[in-house]
Amino acid sequence: MAEASLYRIRRLVHAYEGGTALRIDELAVRRASIVGLVGPNGSGKSTLLHLLGFIHAPTDGTILFKGQPAGPFSESVRFTVTLLPQESYLLKRTVWQNVRYGLQLRGHEGGQQDRVREALQWVGLEPDRFLHRKWYALSGGEAQRVALAARLVLRPEVLLLDEPTASVDALSAQRIKEAAMRARKEWGTTLVVASHDRQWLYEVCDNVLHLYRGRIFSNGEENMLFGPWRQRGDGRFETHDSDGASFVVDPPPSPDAVAIFGTDAISVSCERPSREQPCVEATISRLLWDRSTGQVIVSFLAGSRPLSARFSAEDIAEKQLYPGRTVWIGYDPGAFRWVE
Amino acid sequence: MSFLLEGLIKAIHLLLDMDPETYSAVWTTLQVSSGSMAASLLAGIPLGFFLGYHDFRGKRQVRIVVDTLLALPTVFVGLLVYAFLSRQGPLGSMGLLFTVPGIAIGQTILALPIVVALTATAVEGLDRQLQFTLVSLGADRLQLLTGTLWEARFAILAAALTAYGRVMTEVGISMMVGGNIKWHTRTITTAIALETGKGQFGMGIALGLILLAIAFAVNLSVSFLRKRA
Amino acid sequence: MRALQMKRILLWAMAIGLVWAVVTSVSSAADSLTMATTTSTDNTGLLDELMPEFTKDTGIDIKWTATGTGKALKLGENCDVDVLMVHAPPAEKKFVDAGFGVNRREIMYNDFVLIGPPGDPAGISGKTVAEAMMQFEKKKAVFVSRGDNSGTNKKEIGLWKAAGLEVPDRAEWYVQTGQGMLSTIRIAAERDGYTLTDRGTYIKYSADHKGNPPLKVLVEGDAVLLNQYSVIVVNPDRCKNVKADLAEKFVEWITGDRAQQQIAEFRLLGQELFHPNAK
Repeated sequence: MAEASLYRIRRLVHAYEGGTALRIDELAVRRASIVGLVGPNGSGKSTLLHLLGFIHAPTDGTILFKGQPAGPFSESVRFTVTLLPQESYLLKRTVWQNVRYGLQLRGHEGGQQDRVREALQWVGLEPDRFLHRKWYALSGGEAQRVALAARLVLRPEVLLLDEPTASVDALSAQRIKEAAMRARKEWGTTLVVASHDRQWLYEVCDNVLHLYRGRIFSNGEENMLFGPWRQRGDGRFETHDSDGASFVVDPPPSPDAVAIFGTDAISVSCERPSREQPCVEATISRLLWDRSTGQVIVSFLAGSRPLSARFSAEDIAEKQLYPGRTVWIGYDPGAFRWVE
Repeated sequence: MSFLLEGLIKAIHLLLDMDPETYSAVWTTLQVSSGSMAASLLAGIPLGFFLGYHDFRGKRQVRIVVDTLLALPTVFVGLLVYAFLSRQGPLGSMGLLFTVPGIAIGQTILALPIVVALTATAVEGLDRQLQFTLVSLGADRLQLLTGTLWEARFAILAAALTAYGRVMTEVGISMMVGGNIKWHTRTITTAIALETGKGQFGMGIALGLILLAIAFAVNLSVSFLRKRA
Repeated sequence: MRALQMKRILLWAMAIGLVWAVVTSVSSAADSLTMATTTSTDNTGLLDELMPEFTKDTGIDIKWTATGTGKALKLGENCDVDVLMVHAPPAEKKFVDAGFGVNRREIMYNDFVLIGPPGDPAGISGKTVAEAMMQFEKKKAVFVSRGDNSGTNKKEIGLWKAAGLEVPDRAEWYVQTGQGMLSTIRIAAERDGYTLTDRGTYIKYSADHKGNPPLKVLVEGDAVLLNQYSVIVVNPDRCKNVKADLAEKFVEWITGDRAQQQIAEFRLLGQELFHPNAK
């Protein structure tokens, strides 16, 4: 079984000055899998990627790579794992020198030219036009693609991407996605991708992890309700959203605890349920097909609050859940879990 | 004022006539400044990298000390080095007083804080992402150092030029440690001091212009390298 | 790509030059004698004439550093030089008595002169030295002093005391330059003041002004104005590194007939700067 897991993490804690950034009880990443990371800013995605990339050592706990403990500068990971940071950094040199830099570090002298050209072609940059450009003569999207090419040229076993398409133009985003998938297909590269582009992640990932406040929830379909909570006359609590879509819950453990619930805690109907059933009105914003399960993920907007739930394709057809339609979402406060 | 023009004419004559005294002073100046620059860069760049890159207890205090040393008076350094290199001093047996390496040691002490402080500032000014990038491309610790320094190369070059300017133009150390000995430790600056003392203002101006010409040549080469780098 | 090649060549040239400069600087330790002397012997050009002759006669290379007599004696005390050529007899005697030096030999003399503006506002022309010093005090005439503990400075202090006066250290009209003799004369000229100088330097100063200097000799010939130069070997018993044998050879040479002759022949503007008097 050790063979199947490329990474294995147990009881890992990572803290920055002033607080815990990440706490993971257990996590395994299979070889040649694609893992997506979603979660709000500051939820620990970048921290997790830095740890998986062995840029930092965790404050506590170990990360096993291929069954062996590894850390920054470990020989086993130096030339196999590479990370594309969120704000990629280009060396103050030409494109050619940037892309071949990793090969140079490895003392890989022969065939540099061919591999650099190949990597640039993968990310859609014409080598003859770009090889001799200086770092300052690139657009944001081009710079990000050059940075990705500098990773692809290494033919890495693991490629970690931190919001690779967050701040680039549409064409660059497309090329980046294609190149990452191609690495997976041609070399069996394991990909771990943090992104706000859920549609893409659900399309390509074997597994999407949801991070919040430094914790991982097993998969990404969970909904989260944020406080602060306001006590009502009947002793229960509600969110007070300005647009009226409020949830009524049992007393939370703390004023700004977060309620978490999955598809099993809600029901969708086209007419308003009975008075006793707590519910909110919501509009379907989009449908996503999750390749790994074959299910469809339906995204709703309740006021300005995004929610999602999974359905089989048959349910979608039967209930006529198409984007733009207004539905009622009934929920069961008793099935909510709380995170402080 | 007449000695200004006289100095200019004399400078051209000294250079064209291959005046041996002048060339001896030029050569000594080059020897001394090369030696002290080599030593201060070799020691100062890694120290500056360490100071700028790593966080450690007392870092701020060390920075304050280094920044204060930027104001070292050259005569004071000269006196200090003399105290060590004098026969009665702790390093007296090495016989370095009144020698070119002796002056170079003094000038290294002068240049070192400049190189350390400016390198540290340059390294501190680098994007934090650079470190992540280098490590994730597979750099080991030494490659991390060299890669980081290469990224800061323009700022470090500026640091070296600043230190070079200070070393080339100082007179206190050369006078005190070198003794201004003709054919041996007479540098351009101590020669200027001597000629001025002798009332040969024109000659002093001429030597000053030659020093400027050397500085110009050095900066020209560096700017050429920089353009191509 | 040609620019790149040029850059390589330039870099290599710089690297090689650097290594060459450093290597040659370390390997220049030939067998040579080091002397500390005063600015007056160096600034007049006497040593530039004399020392190549010494090297020619004996094959010994000699290096000298020119400072004030005070610092020269200090360098001797610290064993940093092998031999001294100075001009402050009382201080020299103290130096020898303290065991810092041996074999003090007088080699030559010239004399000090009091110089000042031709108008002579203090009215010292033709007076004795003691009278002149008292005139300065009385008229508060600008007097420019070396103020650097040099041989000339020590002499000047002695003159104030010999005239029964305090050194006017803080007087407004008393200017202490802390600089060499020629600079001090120039400052005196700028301030229309008086100063004490050795005659050798004054002749050099006259030569620089084509024989027509702004300051003139006003008092000279007094017995107390004698300026005696001596050489002293730094005591090899105290200072193991001192090249006593070379230093003794130097003393022998400079007190010898040939060198004494050359000192007598050293002239500026046709005037003899130093009078040999080795015994």
